[in-house]
Amino acid sequence: MSLTLTCPICGERNGYEFRYGGEDKGPRPDRAGLTPEQWCDYVHMNSCVAGVQKEWWFHRDGCGAWFTTHRDTRTGLETDGPDSAAQK
Amino acid sequence: MNRLTHLPTLRIRPESRRDIHYRGKAHPAAAGDTIATALYANGVRIFGRSLKYHRPRGLYSLDGECSNTTMSVDGVPNVRTETVPAKAGMTVKAQNVVGSAERDLLGFMDALSFAMPAGFYYKTLHKPAPVWPLAINRIRKQAGLGAIAPGFKITGVFDELYPRADVCVVGGGPAGMCAALASAEAGLRVILLEARPWLGGFFDYRAAAHPGGGLLYERARELADQVEKAPTIRVFTSAAMTGAYHDNLITAVQQGGDDDPFDSRYLQIRAGAMVAATGCIERPLLFENNEKPGVMQVGCAHRLARTWGLMPGEKIAFSVGHDLGLEAALDLAELGGRVVCVADIREDGQDPALAAALADRRIPYLKGWVAAEAQGRPTLKRAIFSTITGTVQKEFSCDVLVASAGFTPVTGPLDTAGARLAYDNHTGFFLPTDLPPKTHAGGRIMGLQDPLSIETSGRLAGLRAAVDCGKRVDDAVRESETALASQPGPERGSKLVTAPVKGKKTFICFDEDATLKNVRQAMAQGFDVPELIKRFTAAGTGPGQGGIPGHNLPLFVAQTTASPDKHPRPTTVRAPLVPPLMAEYAGTNHDMSKRTPVHDSQAAAGKMERIAVWNRARVFSKSKGARAEIENVRTNVGMLDASTLGKFRIFGPDAVKALQRVYAGDMTKIPSNRMKYAAMCNDDGCLLDDGVIVKQGENDFYFTASTGRAGQTVEWFRFHTKYENWDFHLVNLTDAYGVINLAGPNARKVLEKVADADVSNDAFPFMGYREFTVNKTILVRAMRLGFVGELSYEFHVPSSWMQALWDILAEAGAEFGIQNFGLEAQNTLRMEKGHVIIGSESEQRTNLLDLGLGFLWDRNKPEAKTVGAVALRQTEDQKGRLKLVGFKMTEPADRPPKDGSPIVDDRIRGYVCTARYSHTLDMPVGMALVEDELTPEGTRLAIFEDGCEGNLIHGEIVPMPFYDPDGKRMRM
Amino acid sequence: MNMLQRQSPVRFSARPVKTEVRDGWTVVLEYAAQGDGLHLIDLSHRAKWDLQDGDLSRFDIAGTPIPSAPNTCTLKNGTAVCRRNRTQALIWHLAGDPPELPEDPALTDVTEASLLAALTGPNIYDVMEKICSLDLKDPAKTTPRLIQGPALHVPCLIMDLGRMGDRDVVLIACSRGYGRDMTEGLLHAGAEWNMAPAGETAFTRLFDI
Repeated sequence: MSLTLTCPICGERNGYEFRYGGEDKGPRPDRAGLTPEQWCDYVHMNSCVAGVQKEWWFHRDGCGAWFTTHRDTRTGLETDGPDSAAQK
Repeated sequence: MNRLTHLPTLRIRPESRRDIHYRGKAHPAAAGDTIATALYANGVRIFGRSLKYHRPRGLYSLDGECSNTTMSVDGVPNVRTETVPAKAGMTVKAQNVVGSAERDLLGFMDALSFAMPAGFYYKTLHKPAPVWPLAINRIRKQAGLGAIAPGFKITGVFDELYPRADVCVVGGGPAGMCAALASAEAGLRVILLEARPWLGGFFDYRAAAHPGGGLLYERARELADQVEKAPTIRVFTSAAMTGAYHDNLITAVQQGGDDDPFDSRYLQIRAGAMVAATGCIERPLLFENNEKPGVMQVGCAHRLARTWGLMPGEKIAFSVGHDLGLEAALDLAELGGRVVCVADIREDGQDPALAAALADRRIPYLKGWVAAEAQGRPTLKRAIFSTITGTVQKEFSCDVLVASAGFTPVTGPLDTAGARLAYDNHTGFFLPTDLPPKTHAGGRIMGLQDPLSIETSGRLAGLRAAVDCGKRVDDAVRESETALASQPGPERGSKLVTAPVKGKKTFICFDEDATLKNVRQAMAQGFDVPELIKRFTAAGTGPGQGGIPGHNLPLFVAQTTASPDKHPRPTTVRAPLVPPLMAEYAGTNHDMSKRTPVHDSQAAAGKMERIAVWNRARVFSKSKGARAEIENVRTNVGMLDASTLGKFRIFGPDAVKALQRVYAGDMTKIPSNRMKYAAMCNDDGCLLDDGVIVKQGENDFYFTASTGRAGQTVEWFRFHTKYENWDFHLVNLTDAYGVINLAGPNARKVLEKVADADVSNDAFPFMGYREFTVNKTILVRAMRLGFVGELSYEFHVPSSWMQALWDILAEAGAEFGIQNFGLEAQNTLRMEKGHVIIGSESEQRTNLLDLGLGFLWDRNKPEAKTVGAVALRQTEDQKGRLKLVGFKMTEPADRPPKDGSPIVDDRIRGYVCTARYSHTLDMPVGMALVEDELTPEGTRLAIFEDGCEGNLIHGEIVPMPFYDPDGKRMRM
Repeated sequence: MNMLQRQSPVRFSARPVKTEVRDGWTVVLEYAAQGDGLHLIDLSHRAKWDLQDGDLSRFDIAGTPIPSAPNTCTLKNGTAVCRRNRTQALIWHLAGDPPELPEDPALTDVTEASLLAALTGPNIYDVMEKICSLDLKDPAKTTPRLIQGPALHVPCLIMDLGRMGDRDVVLIACSRGYGRDMTEGLLHAGAEWNMAPAGETAFTRLFDI
């Protein structure tokens, strides 16, 4: 309930306006040479870091943008980025 | 009772009289009275009975920190009468009593307390097993607080509000007001929350001198006046904070007063920074019968007199551990009360002026003494005092014993915000050591008692909050820091809270009837951490949460434990800090749902059902299983409101790339006058959505999505293209168009009458798409689709025109027997055709191939990186998957199994998805997901139906579709 | 009865005293006893366009370019143009006769897709505070501005026009299907300030002040 996220279009909003889109895993892999294990890892495996992670969020109840943000999973607070764990 | 009048500190208006009802009598109350003060004014001393022992309980703190004075008000149980205003016509009842609060027939339970040691509940009643339900039944009847009548419906206006602020100050006492003023001076928006109905807090009722001049209550009013005049400060009084969450989300519940348009209101405040200035409550003094009606805290007795004009008793004794108690004793004497003695835990350290004033008034003043036992039945008649060593005792006759060991900071707001607290030996407080970001504290919560220090500390907290909000007030911060350093610091707190007694009836937690003896029993059994002792004895788990035992439990444990770790550790405080009603959380509760453009006419004719966000027509006819509607579609023509279908426009240079990514099929060849049927899968190849798509221009398409998926379609496209930077655009037209499904062998005859176009089978064939007008006015997008397996059209019509088109078609179809049909009929009709509904014939694991929809997958577009394509390829030859099959019933042959029934042999082999009696085929048929070995035609299926008691029923695999397998009827 | 009538998603129980038929819509110009206090006005019949393009700078709607910053708006000649994001803008024709939809694939007529309602008069920001946690009272705001966020748990486009003549004005748009529940929710929230349904003229006259 209390999570806030900063939408690049709409600014800081309540977390319940957004849908979580998972960790940032990069573009979809090419089909060529892809093993089932690699594919499964891409789709289903997560790093689950206790710390700062880059993640996707969708501003469902607002402008409809998909965007990435850095969040410290220990505090639930957005941070500046992986190099700076300082809270905003 | 006669009220003290003409006191400048009074908060009642006796001229505004109202009656509340208690024990069959009207009791007069004044405006400003709480229910508790009104009852007290009318001579009520026993407000209820305790949880386990049915001990009489009375006024104790006046701030609702314990359940002593919770009562049933107008049928609502557990109302904290100390904080709820007395309103005209309220009916108040005592709780947990058989008979009355004064003469409770279960009062004998108190004498049986020896039989209920700590952990009694866990350890005694679990064996033999048959005892358990009987014991529960008995205990539930005897123990507990309020009861709610079955079927009780709460009435009242429960509002909600979502205000924003830069700084939210919790607590409207001197520190909170100074904090709010400091933040507001910096140009910030401030919200000030105060649990009591007025600002002033610790100063409000005190007539002592303020070191800055004047009297404390005068200073409180002066500050309140400044606050009310500050344009950027919003004050919420009677608003008790319930919790603080990260990113400074603060929740509170506000009680409505006589003139408010609400009875109570949930506040959810998002602030840039928070200041906790919640001050202190009093630390209960622990002695025998320390909760007997007549025993009360200093603030309770003092405020009764000063705020409500009620002298608490005839003969008042004091047992205190701080100067505030001495001040109260003198003030009550000044107001005409008879103070029989003042015992002070402290041997020295008192304000000499107060001691001298007591001597002047010839009030016996016992230094180094403490109350040891309260006596009298059912209310206080006398008190036994003892030296703190327990060697000498004295008895005083009294009807009120004002008892207070010291102060306990109200750290709930900081606790819930995530602050760390540590025990401070000087103050005896748990003080914050590590505050979360943008969180500050000021005033008595920091251990300060001097009025100037309290104000400066509040101001400093407000300024620091302003810095958090980006205001450059660093100079002012430094100034306040310097000022605070020169003012009196935190006061030394009294260490002693326990009289020299055995503690058999010395209550550490009133709500749960937990005594010192219980705590000792828990410790004797090896519990050494307050958090665990709290759970084993239940001390602090009641409605008052940590209010009464909050500091005493950890302190007592630390003093009593043999462990070398003497640092008391606080127990955890959790939200809600005060107990709100469910109705307060529910708020105004607007249940938002969508209506189609023909909602009113559908609702007038049929039975509506809420499906996800939409209201839809389930059935119109009275016949079982919507038989009449089904038969009419198969033989005549019917009309269905399908407006809930998702509708979208996608366009732009990269639109085809986006379609190729999310749809399983080849989307490079979409015709402009024909529908293309297409399906979307997730990355596991499981079917998510299906619909049709038509080209309406260069790189410009119109497509449909199923009702349940329409809300996520745009999100899905964007998610799976998020790394691509493709130039395409989506417009959600779901609500822009209503959809009418006109279906049945006579459908064309109806359409021909109204369409301004040639709609013959040649001009508008199956799977065709046309745009034409009806009655020269209404432009429709028409699609010839066959979901129900008959000649059928879908008209997508601008929503505002839909009722008009519906009426036109209904009129034109009257001669052909046109009728409405609903979802129930549609479900059977499409099932007879073997058409799947996502979620009915598919679940989380069901992929496109399992449903026999492999033709919707184009395997030759790897460059598109189509969502689901990899998984489809990998599972293509996988064994053991559940596949969709059709079956008919054989034993019994006259009824379908219930949807969802498992298909079994020696284990579960699948389950029934949808099965209905098909009147068209005159037999029960259905679709099921079964393991691949069971799919060959003719395989016998054993079905376990809920409630069949082992008597399996049987069906047999048959080919699908059941009805019109060649699809001639859709094409006719 | 002329069957070819268009219908608004909104049903007010108030009695219309002045109506006008316009392009199939029966537009209520004035309701009985609408007063001059807090008003709720149905504008769902007003033309609304969606504009999406990779390069919004090439457009000139109602004589002004599309604002460059997201959630900023222009209001000119009765037409509001707001930037929604990098590639999308909304165009609402609020007063006067709407122009024909230009023949440009970037534009979609979305008039039918949504409820559009105006809140005007005193206390409108107090009403909004009861139904959403979006900061419409932000003292630092500049109007007109767009807020894309939920009210009554439903995604909305909220356009704060600020002060127009003697009244504050906020427009709310949401999916048409929610039209009835949204207007009923607004009336419920505004009941303590006697919010009343009002006819279109109560809104359009603000453009003449």
